[in-house]
Amino acid sequence: MRKHKSDRVIGILTIILLGIGVVTIYAIGPMRANVMNSAYGTSYRENYFFLQQLRNVVLALVALVVAFKVPYAWVKKIGKWVLGLGLLLCVTLMILAMIRSSAATCELGACRWLNFGGLSLQPAEVLKLGLVLYLADLIARRKAEGKLESLTDFWLPFAVISGVSLVFVVVVQKDLGTGVSLMAIILAMLFMSGVKMWQFGVTLLVIFLAGGVAILSSPHRMERLLTFNSAESSDSYHIENALIAIGTGGFWGVGFGNSVQATGYLPESINDSVFAVMGETMGFVGLVAVVMCFTVLLLRVLKVANYLQDTQESLIVVGIFAWATAHVVVNIASMTGLIPLTGITLPLLSYGGTSMLFMAAAIGLVLQLSCYTSRESRVEEEVSSNTSKACKQSPKRRLQV
Amino acid sequence: MKLNRNAVLKAGLLLVVAVIILKLFCIQIVEHEEWVEKAAAQHTLQNVLLAKRGEIYMMDGDEPVAVVMNATVYTVIVDPMLASEEELPEKLTEVLGEQRIAEWEDVFADKSRRYYVIAKNVERKVAEKVAEADLAGVWLQSDTKRVYPEGTLASTVLGFVNADGVGQYGVEGAMNEELTGVNGLLRTVKDVNNVALSIGGDNIKVPAEDGENIVLTIDRNLQYKVEKILEQQAEELGFKNISALVMDPRTGKVLAMANLPGYDPADFGNVMSAEDYINHVVEDPYEPASVCKTFTFAAGLEYGVMTPEKTFFNENVTYVDGWPIKNSTQKAELVGQISMQTALNWSMNTGSTQVLRWLGGSESEILQQGRERLYDYYYNHFGLGVPTGIELIESPGVVYGPNAEIYGIDSTYANMTFGQNMQVTMIQVASAFSAVVNGGEYFAPTIVAGKVVNGEFVENEQAEAVRRAVSQETSATMREMLYNTRTSFRNNGVDAEGYYVGGKTGTAQMIKDGAYSFDETVATYVGFGGTAGELPEYVIMVRVWEDGKIAGGEAQALPVFNVLKACVQDYLKIKPAGV
Repeated sequence: MRKHKSDRVIGILTIILLGIGVVTIYAIGPMRANVMNSAYGTSYRENYFFLQQLRNVVLALVALVVAFKVPYAWVKKIGKWVLGLGLLLCVTLMILAMIRSSAATCELGACRWLNFGGLSLQPAEVLKLGLVLYLADLIARRKAEGKLESLTDFWLPFAVISGVSLVFVVVVQKDLGTGVSLMAIILAMLFMSGVKMWQFGVTLLVIFLAGGVAILSSPHRMERLLTFNSAESSDSYHIENALIAIGTGGFWGVGFGNSVQATGYLPESINDSVFAVMGETMGFVGLVAVVMCFTVLLLRVLKVANYLQDTQESLIVVGIFAWATAHVVVNIASMTGLIPLTGITLPLLSYGGTSMLFMAAAIGLVLQLSCYTSRESRVEEEVSSNTSKACKQSPKRRLQV
Repeated sequence: MKLNRNAVLKAGLLLVVAVIILKLFCIQIVEHEEWVEKAAAQHTLQNVLLAKRGEIYMMDGDEPVAVVMNATVYTVIVDPMLASEEELPEKLTEVLGEQRIAEWEDVFADKSRRYYVIAKNVERKVAEKVAEADLAGVWLQSDTKRVYPEGTLASTVLGFVNADGVGQYGVEGAMNEELTGVNGLLRTVKDVNNVALSIGGDNIKVPAEDGENIVLTIDRNLQYKVEKILEQQAEELGFKNISALVMDPRTGKVLAMANLPGYDPADFGNVMSAEDYINHVVEDPYEPASVCKTFTFAAGLEYGVMTPEKTFFNENVTYVDGWPIKNSTQKAELVGQISMQTALNWSMNTGSTQVLRWLGGSESEILQQGRERLYDYYYNHFGLGVPTGIELIESPGVVYGPNAEIYGIDSTYANMTFGQNMQVTMIQVASAFSAVVNGGEYFAPTIVAGKVVNGEFVENEQAEAVRRAVSQETSATMREMLYNTRTSFRNNGVDAEGYYVGGKTGTAQMIKDGAYSFDETVATYVGFGGTAGELPEYVIMVRVWEDGKIAGGEAQALPVFNVLKACVQDYLKIKPAGV
């Protein structure tokens, strides 16, 4: 495939979103510092969060450029190593949490961060990237071998890897939000792998049943689901205040620096709830603009996947699409009360290093791959009858160009 | 048909986005007002900025001194959920001592009740010790209360402030509005920790206007001396109730006002009955009796129908509407032609009744003109039965009009000439008496000298006389008649050479169950004094009574007046003439 220019729209929208995030954090950072200082006796300076976010954005841009430049052929090979690293970090985190080491940061019994001398890292982010790369590799390889229907060669490793990743995130780290995004990645990639619809349907059913068992087996999760949005819910305060923030914004918003909800009423105002704060400051106009930015960005990413002829490359982009989409949709749906509150960051906008860094790197990878799209859309086929044909055609087409 | 799976994802994304935008439209446009209201409910900080209640001062010579002040006191509150049951009782029992009002078992009996008051009205020093102990689950709430550095001094004049912060009785009650001030209002957007924010356009701050610091005309030292004398006299005379008033007849200023028994304003709940709160000088109209002959005779002089030397035929009894009006002194040698001076000396009811007849232009009958003239002087000139306007709660009493449609108006008016069949207050009588002796001008009595503003005494301007009550000549004649009355046989040498003191006694039957009682009377004496040859410098009025006892103007009120007079003369440094 001849290399051409990358998808500029993706790049521009990424930078616009990062910019909106920085401006928002600049406006509410001092309030956040004040809230933290009076609640925990810390002594954050007024511009602490703004400067941190600025640093995060710079790091994210560096990660984006690196992912854009690193030879994609190499990236295609390291899937299992990245996944392995992600799982290793999860195990490390679990052990450190068990021995109550300060290197594991825990909140309310959920240990999700690793600390190495001031640098904190969320293993789940590595896991997401690893899963995307590994599953793309696995599916593409088995598809090329015509073994996509093989129970032992494809379905078993697929199920085990997915299952182990989910268990680490949902059960050990008690991070439902990341679990949802992992699930989205797994399902989207499977869907686009070309497995038969009935197979995909059975997979969905199995996951649905497993999810049901998981919910029924935990009174906490059960309660959370049943009391979704009702007054007894422990999350109702959070949702109520997110809605107050969004609702008071009205059409035009109250303007930057005038958010009252960010002065301590709205929990997680700079991280998971930043969308609600933006609703208050920028109003309906601002939120629709933000949602449209994300929508166009995601559609462009999906388009890249559609025009990549190589299965593995296409699946990598699909995985990244699912990852980003899950974050955007789950976060916004949580904040607007459409679904039960799920703690998950809003890509590129929420305060926080790891998530932004990995999302930027993923987008960098998409940008790189966008240089290799063809003019035609991918030929999509179910694997069933034409396995041999697909096998033959695929390398052939590559040679043609 | 082949399913374009990429298109499925795209469609799915667009569908979700559409739902999200619809939801945003609902929240931000449709339900906007609703959320703004909810936001306002939790963002609005509305605080009443409490106005400080004004303090009350009395004069000490030329300087005001505070006699009612505010002090910050603390309520100690415990949250049994947070407090340590082992540690807390041990540490606080000693610090609070007798001020603890709750038993520890009760406090910890129900931990879900997270608010338990364990001490009230705790002074700053003790509160500081509680704060220093730094105990979990204990907090202090500050409050202000009235403190009385002079104890029970002038309690019935000062009044008190009830638990709701409202002044009751006395100056506190009458001038509650001025003392209270106006509370301010603070309304602002606040953060989650209740800290006011500068965000938002409709923040309001109206500062509180503190109450006025009121300075009374009452002289603290004189008040103290008067109260001591009353206590002493009450014991000597064996009477429970004595009220006294000292005022300056040249200005209407009250220098002392006292009522026995009184009460402790710091412990105002601890009284036998609400009767103890009453300031009898201003809010308890009664019949001052023969004291009022002063006013009848003054009216007679004004109309030129009598002189001190004019005589009438006294039979010690005279009949009006067939009812006998008797003199209290029934001496045979007083029957015959008697001068008006002698009639006043012996407080003859026949004499004052005769003045009423003369006012009507008759020798033997009470006529409408007589009643109208007497009423005009009593009511309009002397202000009897009319609120005086003093800055206290007044009860004006009753003086019947000359043509009132009541049974026996003539005998009512005959009785009124010697101060019965009417209800007036001591302050009305003393103010009218001041007008009679001060040269004839009526000054509205006042108890307020001014204000203390920012620590400076701002004195009220001396009010002009309200009206001329009697002529200079009448006033001079009345001074002489009252002087003669006092010195004729009653003064027993208590008035030293060089001083000019006059006065009049009064003894009235008390009305019990709607009828005049024969075994209960109230005694009054009102008098003036000063350097001989000059206008009077003080007027003193005394009233002595007790349920079921007979008190006489001469036997009980006069001695109290004499002691007070000596004290006032001394305190005001009034020099005898020629010294």
